[in-house]
Amino acid sequence: METKYYQAEVKAGFPSPALDYMEERINLNDVLIQHPLSTFIIECSGDSMINAFIPPKAKLIVDKSITAQNGDIVVAVMNGDFTVKFLKKNDIKCWLIPGNSKYREIEITEEMNLQIWGVVVKIIIDPKDVRKCML
Amino acid sequence: MDCNNFYCSCERVFNPKLEGKPVVVLSNNDGCVIARSEEAKKLGIVMGTPAYMIEDQLRQHNVAIFSSNYTLYGDMSDRVMKTFASFVPRLEIYSIDEAFLDLHDLPYHDLLQLGVTIRKTVRQNTGIPVTVGIAQTKTLAKMANRYAKKKHKQTGVFWAANEMLTQEMLENTEVGDIWGIGHQYSMFLKRNGFNTAAEFVKAPDEWVRVNMSVVGHRMLNELKGIPSVAWEFEAPVKKNICTSRSFGKLLTRKEDIQEALCNYAAACALKLRQQKTCCNTVHIFINTNPHKTDDAQYARTINVELQSASNNTSEIIKAACQGFNIIYAKGYRFMKCGVIVMDLVPEDQIQVSLFDEADRARNKQVMAAMDKVNRSLGKEIVRFAVQGFEKKYKLRADHLSKKYTTDINQILKVKI
Repeated sequence: METKYYQAEVKAGFPSPALDYMEERINLNDVLIQHPLSTFIIECSGDSMINAFIPPKAKLIVDKSITAQNGDIVVAVMNGDFTVKFLKKNDIKCWLIPGNSKYREIEITEEMNLQIWGVVVKIIIDPKDVRKCML
Repeated sequence: MDCNNFYCSCERVFNPKLEGKPVVVLSNNDGCVIARSEEAKKLGIVMGTPAYMIEDQLRQHNVAIFSSNYTLYGDMSDRVMKTFASFVPRLEIYSIDEAFLDLHDLPYHDLLQLGVTIRKTVRQNTGIPVTVGIAQTKTLAKMANRYAKKKHKQTGVFWAANEMLTQEMLENTEVGDIWGIGHQYSMFLKRNGFNTAAEFVKAPDEWVRVNMSVVGHRMLNELKGIPSVAWEFEAPVKKNICTSRSFGKLLTRKEDIQEALCNYAAACALKLRQQKTCCNTVHIFINTNPHKTDDAQYARTINVELQSASNNTSEIIKAACQGFNIIYAKGYRFMKCGVIVMDLVPEDQIQVSLFDEADRARNKQVMAAMDKVNRSLGKEIVRFAVQGFEKKYKLRADHLSKKYTTDINQILKVKI
């Protein structure tokens, strides 16, 4: 008769009751970014969106794959310059609306050559900067 | 699929002011022009021209100049390729900015519409403009792409959907512009009265086989719509890996050159580990600048055989240094050095030398740990002391843009 020997480790102590319930730890990439291939991160300076909780140094997660809708916060390119504003639009016209009453609304005309670069999907701010948004 | 002026387009995504303006990207060390926007092409700037020769022209026309930012281009390429991949089950990445998509067995009837959709999606999602050529074979698809750039600029898509359209395309393509036909064959074909692809496609099979070997015959079949060039859906494992660069300035001190060499050796070792191979031979070379005719000239190479095949950074560096000690000579002004790892074998098929005393298993763990730290904390956080920190040999890159997509400290800054 053939006999087989097995080597097995026996560890002292009780096994963790959680072992069967282990799951992957939360991954912020998954939470914050829906489309990794079309998502970019940018940093802001300036106060034109301060009441939209975008203080200077805020980091914006921007998704280029999303088509901008009325009310979205967008990264736009106007005459070659980047800006971040609320997009307001109806069937005929569209505007860029700042989040700060010190600044004026901009009605978009043909010659501004407006392009929507992407839609802001998340805003990352340091709690220390939140106060600036509440003045 | 071919990205339009890819490097220039990458720069424009983060610098929209450059839209409609001439842009050029220079090779490593800011040497030659390696990418041009349409506007730069119109100015008559030729591919491969050394930048210093056209300094006046660049300044006069206000051309935006960039050093090559391969970190950025690599990431943008990855985004583009993966976006392509979301449309089809199989694709072959042909280069950093080109891919073949296999459209066989897809539930679409209107491939032109599919091409338009892919192009639009890539443009919107990544900001990169691409041109699409659709046809029966890879060679015809390449040609269709070229034809789309020439004749269908607006849509950016050409589908050789039937015989008439294929014929039209063949008639408008010179033999020299066929994928795979080099200068020699192009001259040869023209001497024999074949000027366009349409004329070449009618050449007798036997004549092509005799005069242009099987390769030419394969090309002929491809043009006739018979697939004859194999697909490579996965990147082939490289037979040898070379890392070499010109120094930013000429170097004479042994330590400085050795530092560069050690870094190239480390880069080779990392690439070996990434493709799970080991090398048996480490080849190194150093040379002075042959164009500086006033300088004393010196160039040497050496092969160092390893005791056992390895992809361990410390062993590759050690071999490179051994070789370097033999071939280095004092008193010359060196321009370039490099490391080529050769005789590659799969990692799991190494024949260990009888006299090999290294603890392979332990070394492997050390390398894996090093790679892991470097991956998560940044390139080369952990490295060997000989790799140094000064990088005197570092490339010249006076017009380098930011690593917008891979370094949180270099992301796009917007004044709002």
